[in-house]
Amino acid sequence: MSFALANRLVFVTGKGGVGKSSVATALALGFAGRGLRTLVCELNVQERVSTLLERPQAGPAVTRLEENLWSVNITPDEALREVALMRLRVETLYRAVFENRLVKSFLRVIPSLQEVLMLGKVVFHAQEKEATGSYRFDRVVVDAPATGHAISFLMVPQVVVDTVPPGPLAREAKNMRDLLVDERQTAVVLVTTPEEMPLKETAELCEKLRNEARVWPRCVALNNFIDPRFTQEDLQSLRASSHVLSSLAQVHEARASQSAAAVAFLDHKLGLPVVKLPRLFTPEFGRQEVCALSRCLGPWLGDAQ
Amino acid sequence: MSHFPIATALRDKTVLVCVGAGGVGKTTIAASLGLRSSVDGRAALVCTIDPARRLATSLGLAELGNTETPIARELFHAAGLVPRAALSAMMLDMKASWDHLIERLTTPEQRARIFSNRVYQSVSSTLAGSQEYIAMEKLRELRLERSYPLIVLDTPPTSHALDFLDAPNRVLDFLDNEAARFLLSPVAAAGKVGFRLFRLSTTRASKVLAKFTGQRTLEELANFIMVMSELNPDFRSKAEEVRALLTNTNTAFVIVASPNLERLDEVVRLHTVLLQNRIAVAAVVANRVHFPVPETAWAEAKAFPAPLRDRLLETLAEHAAAARMDQRGVSYLQRLCLPTPVVEVPRFDLDVHDLTALWKVSRYLVGERITEWATE
Repeated sequence: MSFALANRLVFVTGKGGVGKSSVATALALGFAGRGLRTLVCELNVQERVSTLLERPQAGPAVTRLEENLWSVNITPDEALREVALMRLRVETLYRAVFENRLVKSFLRVIPSLQEVLMLGKVVFHAQEKEATGSYRFDRVVVDAPATGHAISFLMVPQVVVDTVPPGPLAREAKNMRDLLVDERQTAVVLVTTPEEMPLKETAELCEKLRNEARVWPRCVALNNFIDPRFTQEDLQSLRASSHVLSSLAQVHEARASQSAAAVAFLDHKLGLPVVKLPRLFTPEFGRQEVCALSRCLGPWLGDAQ
Repeated sequence: MSHFPIATALRDKTVLVCVGAGGVGKTTIAASLGLRSSVDGRAALVCTIDPARRLATSLGLAELGNTETPIARELFHAAGLVPRAALSAMMLDMKASWDHLIERLTTPEQRARIFSNRVYQSVSSTLAGSQEYIAMEKLRELRLERSYPLIVLDTPPTSHALDFLDAPNRVLDFLDNEAARFLLSPVAAAGKVGFRLFRLSTTRASKVLAKFTGQRTLEELANFIMVMSELNPDFRSKAEEVRALLTNTNTAFVIVASPNLERLDEVVRLHTVLLQNRIAVAAVVANRVHFPVPETAWAEAKAFPAPLRDRLLETLAEHAAAARMDQRGVSYLQRLCLPTPVVEVPRFDLDVHDLTALWKVSRYLVGERITEWATE
């Protein structure tokens, strides 16, 4: 299926442990390598993007990692400071109010405020323009929360629009919602492995994204993909001779057929284009491995297939 | 420290709490512990919060509700098992559990005010920490009001396992918010409903805040906090009971981790914090470990003609690389989680999603099998 990821804002999500961060990083690296100014956002987590690329930590400020590639670890506190400053325009007033211990603990309990703030900063960067009027970033890639939380995270703007009375917060939320549901601008990349549970969760997430959040899943990265290796004759002769080798080969083939079934499932059931990312057996997972994944993502980045 | 820490815990404890980051197989381990207990003769309830319904699938149930459901004997039999005591499972529905809790604590008049408040809607479903809070509350209720010899609690899939300990406090902060009371400082009028948002409209801080959230948001929040604060003594005393339950000698935690090195600092931190909080940790389970292949396999592989030989050698090399990485992770855990024992569960060929597979996992958990390559 010919397909290119042309959206300005890309959320990468999947079940915990399937390699979301690696795929988000590989995708961003791919965009940057094709001359697109790209920002990767992590959301208040132990930073992984900069580590994977073997660069110093980015922290809560937008930091240039390499040519065309920037990274930021968005924290609610920093996002709040920025939003509040934009609105108040006076640093001392911000300090007096928002850094007051009591006010801080009060803000912490406004429902969904943290998520709104983090998403708000993502949206801000996706819409941020230079003095010349052109966008500051061509692509914003978000390493989004895992499946269970992804839906509630992406639905936060809608929830705020529905539950918060009109006011600045509600207005911000509506702006975010409008960008998220715009399929020309925003896309979700699903990451999964070929195992049954992650696939099932991916299917559920896909349906919820389509029906409830209305933020559009565009494609699936199938991580830990394994190609078949042994023939039927191989397996036959192993079965007769070696218990260990026979079970190793059988496990390999079981995983290979699981991989093939996963491609069929994603393709037919979800109707989404799939990129296969081979399982890598390297002692470390670092820049070299991310580059390898990035090459596999080539078709989505507009490379000829 | 017992040589078979999990077998001991399954025999002696009344509450086992599985904690760990999302995606490490917590739900599988929780289900496997419950299954083992029931087959060994102690009735158990497995309680999960997993919104992705993994436990239901693992136990062969199409759907798990907010009530306790017994697992059919036929399922055990199909897996070649005979349960000597009952196994039940439930999946916590957050919204329903919150409603249930509020119903138990309130007068009809208070209830009406809470349920109709828009802030309550989002607290009960989306407030960060809300899941964790209600999970602990449910555990408290089940332990006090039901007679299961063992309750296994599977905790919410937080991206940071530590959130789990912090979250209930965040909810309590919300319900008993010093700042809120200061800012909103109600002046109770003679009537019941009457309170004025006194400082809300006068202090500079609240004016600035209102600029940010909108005045009406603050008012709705104030209303909500007012009603909820009437329930505060109840919430506080329940929280005390939860705390007592977690530090009780009959309760133990099981930390579930993947042997993936780059995630292990967090596991170690979780372990440290649990011990600091005087919470017993029965074991750290390193889940989905590639066990090393016996050395003799290489010679065996070399005896085959090409191309099978090369295919075998490639497969052995891949497996050995994975096993080496996992072994590094396991020894790291062993070193840094002393004196808590680390129990290894191998990565199985395929997903664990039925009783047969859960049983196999349990055999590693209790130490019946320690090498993947031993013949059955």
